[in-house]
Amino acid sequence: MFPRKPDQHKVGNPLIPDGLGIVYVLFTTVYLFFLYFTGIVSPSNNVSAPLTLAVCILFGGFMGLLDDWIDLKWRYKAFMPLIAALPLIYFAIENGLRTSIILPIIGVIQFNELYYFLIIPLIIMIVTNTINQLGGLNGLETICPAIILIGLMVLSPSFILMLGPILVWLILAFFNFKGKIFVGNTGSFAVGMTLASFAIITDLKSSLIVSIIPYVFNSALILLSIFIVQKRPRVIFNGKKLHSEHRRSLVTLVTYHRYLTEKQVVMIISLIIGIFTIFSVLYLYPLIVF
Amino acid sequence: MEETALSNSRITSGFKSIGSLRNISRTSVLCYSALILILLIAFSIRILPLRWEIPSGTSRLNEFDPYYQYSLTEKMVEDGLLSPYFPDPGWRNNQLWYPDGLDMSKSLPSLPMTAAVLYRIVAVFGFNLDLMTFCAMLAPVLGAFACLLLYFIGKDMGGKTIGLFAALFLALLPSFLQRSSVGFFDSELPGMIGLLLFIFTFLRSIDSKRSLFSSILYSLVSAVSLAFFILGWGAAYFLISLAVIFVFALVLLKRYNTRLLISYSITFGFALFIATKWPYISLNYLISVAVLPVVALFILLCLAEAFQNKISLKPKLYITIAIISAIIVGILAAWQLGYLAQVAGKFLTVLFPTTRANSPLIESVAEHRISTWAYIYYELGLGVLFFITGIYFTVKNPTNRNVFLLIFGATSLYFAASMVRLLVIFAPAFALLAAKGIVGLLNPFFALLKENSSVIGKSKRKLLRVSKEYSYGAILLIFLLLVLSLSFMPQNGGIPRSLTAAYSPLTITSSSLPIAPDDPVSEWIDMLNYTNNNLQSTDVVCCWWDYGYWLGIPGNVTTLADNATVNTTKIEDIGFIFMSPEEQSIPMLANYDVKYILVFHTVFIGQDQSGNLLATAGIWGDEGKWSWMASISGSSRDRFIEDGWIEEDLMWIDENDFGEPNQNTGTWIWNSRGRDTVIYKMMSWARQLYTESEPSQAAGVSPDEPGVEPKYLKPAFISGLDTSPFEYGGVIPLVALYEIDYESFFNATST
Repeated sequence: MFPRKPDQHKVGNPLIPDGLGIVYVLFTTVYLFFLYFTGIVSPSNNVSAPLTLAVCILFGGFMGLLDDWIDLKWRYKAFMPLIAALPLIYFAIENGLRTSIILPIIGVIQFNELYYFLIIPLIIMIVTNTINQLGGLNGLETICPAIILIGLMVLSPSFILMLGPILVWLILAFFNFKGKIFVGNTGSFAVGMTLASFAIITDLKSSLIVSIIPYVFNSALILLSIFIVQKRPRVIFNGKKLHSEHRRSLVTLVTYHRYLTEKQVVMIISLIIGIFTIFSVLYLYPLIVF
Repeated sequence: MEETALSNSRITSGFKSIGSLRNISRTSVLCYSALILILLIAFSIRILPLRWEIPSGTSRLNEFDPYYQYSLTEKMVEDGLLSPYFPDPGWRNNQLWYPDGLDMSKSLPSLPMTAAVLYRIVAVFGFNLDLMTFCAMLAPVLGAFACLLLYFIGKDMGGKTIGLFAALFLALLPSFLQRSSVGFFDSELPGMIGLLLFIFTFLRSIDSKRSLFSSILYSLVSAVSLAFFILGWGAAYFLISLAVIFVFALVLLKRYNTRLLISYSITFGFALFIATKWPYISLNYLISVAVLPVVALFILLCLAEAFQNKISLKPKLYITIAIISAIIVGILAAWQLGYLAQVAGKFLTVLFPTTRANSPLIESVAEHRISTWAYIYYELGLGVLFFITGIYFTVKNPTNRNVFLLIFGATSLYFAASMVRLLVIFAPAFALLAAKGIVGLLNPFFALLKENSSVIGKSKRKLLRVSKEYSYGAILLIFLLLVLSLSFMPQNGGIPRSLTAAYSPLTITSSSLPIAPDDPVSEWIDMLNYTNNNLQSTDVVCCWWDYGYWLGIPGNVTTLADNATVNTTKIEDIGFIFMSPEEQSIPMLANYDVKYILVFHTVFIGQDQSGNLLATAGIWGDEGKWSWMASISGSSRDRFIEDGWIEEDLMWIDENDFGEPNQNTGTWIWNSRGRDTVIYKMMSWARQLYTESEPSQAAGVSPDEPGVEPKYLKPAFISGLDTSPFEYGGVIPLVALYEIDYESFFNATST
């Protein structure tokens, strides 16, 4: 049923079904349609939040499919998510969402009009692409976004929007961690789009920005090393453990001259992201509640 | 041996021919049933407003301008097709713009002529429809026909699938939907038909694969459709310029061939020949700035033809430079010397939207607004995605047709962004490009499904990772995206935008209120019935110009002004009539032989602090329009004073002389001067009478301020007095007709 792809970090490189992210995309769409039809989440100011989310996630999934299929060029991948910003900008304007972002240390930044036309597209573009870039190990591309999403859901009063999808995603993450399936680019673009659009719709972009910092750091490392030394990161698998000879990404940084199993690496990175997420929740929870 | 009528072999061959029907491929059965479905959808969604027309048994027309077109049609049906135009000076409708009348020969004939001809044809078959209902129904029929035309254009551009998607998009695009639903009997209809027919035939005529004969035939048809457009909608400048830019682009791309010259000259020569025969277009059309490039391009094409023969480079260069500079110098000289006819300001402001701020008369009309990206997204939804991918696929494959599509898409998008009303021209371009985008995205996945997976593995390395099932996923995702951009639109609360656009009553059936109640709002219709039955067609009724067509055409009385806005002085005078005190207003009314004066007033039912129901002024009637009356008449303040209509100290400049808005609520507070105006008295007295009426007394509604009774204006008929306060959710439309009591006025003033 699903195309198979070799697992590079297992002995004998067994073939594993890839692209199961589509399950997540389809389930989420059905779930959000259900929310809309049953009126559990009714349109606010004549814009429907579940349907807006559905459009964005579908688009993310579609982009991932294209990427899985024809290896989209980087310039397309970088700018295609901008299309998904349109429904979100419209949603934000019609509902008069806050145009400011609260950041630790820096404080409140007021963007006014710029928020709609610059910040929302930027958030979409950066989040989808950075989420897509951290992956390659079993469980890495599923567990980490799940942590961030749960963090967002804790803060949001409209967590119901993501209740079904997160369950499906956790099931996928479990099998992914076990090394039974891959979610593919379909999954990682879709979940990136989920994070970005959910955060914008529920007005939690501050929390998103804080928890996404490790991702941004990872992408910055990768892009810098591509620009400067023109080399991509590579982890070495010796049959049992992973290690690396350079520090060109978060994964290689963790495994630099250090022999770790795949699971250990995934746990460490998840922990880093978990710390950032918990911090964002603790920092923002009082601001939201009071 | 002769065969008998029912010989064996005949019967068997007859059965065989039925059997051969089975040979029609399944694809084409699917395709044509899909097409029929799309056309059915296109038609049925356009007749939704009929829901409010059914109680009366006939359909009326939407908004205001369609009544003008209707009156032309009526004249043509009665006195012959050419009767409004020939013999000179043509037909003057004396019931409009009294006392001068409105010169109806200055109208575009395409739409009324089409309607009149079709009406005659339908009558031959024995259908005796009411003409107004026929005209109202013509809009959805032509709208569906436009979708059919777009199917053929799309089919030429890349196969049946593109045609089907394009037709579907056009059927559902709100901008076109609104302007082709029941009752929208206006110039966009011949415009769209002409545009699409022209694109279809012109692109076929320049196709060098066709025989010369069919090329010429298509050029002739495209000439007729271009003429149809020019004689149907003022926006024809757009199509002419578009075709010129396209042909010029082909020359630049070195795709010139003799066929292009032949088609171009036949099309434009013949089209302009027909169009300029009409008095309103006339030969002046040829020297207008927008049409001159046609001639310039013709010279250029002749030059290109000459260069096809072997001429060495140098003379080629000299001749080209000489001719191009001659064209430019010629145009510049003609322009400077004033030989060029000016293109109306309305058209220029589309090109340069920023200049529109200087002309408030154009900017004040809602349909001339600049459209924002948010509005465009609101209308189109995430179909924008397919539009963008469509552009991508079109750029990658620049055939002649695709070059045309690109220019069409780019220019119409620019114009649509510049003026909301022109989104209707953008609609077919959007439909075609979005269809291209969808099909371009789907095609590789379909190919994958058809091919043998082992073959893929060998031929295309990149496809290695993908299985067949993957394509189903991709197709499903595209389908879901389509569903979200056509039927469950997030930006419209999950309701298709096309439905909200179509499912609202005609303006007259909702009495100009922006609501969609269960039953028709009949106040305006009652008023028109009253004037029809109780007034003479020569009785002059004064009202603000918005309602001029309604009163003059279905109401069958004589009016002073309407949407044609041909005479600004008279509109100033009407503003003066409404804004001055009765003593100054009535001489002006007498000057125009006005017998009745009409005001449209909407009343909101509100509550005061102690919970009593109050009748307050609304916003959708003349209470929202009087500030225009004040500022338009105030703009020629000096004229009224010099001509002795009013003393200087009584004359106003704009609405601020009559009161000021409440700082907190924004409602208007009239001052003593405002309370002395004719319009204030007419509205407040109508409101007072309403609160004294039976349904309002029963509900306990009292006026928010005591009504002021006009001295010399006597209520003749006030439509809406018997409306229950909550019938339309707390809004009551009152259409008040007052008779002017000249006798007591002159008795009072002569002593």
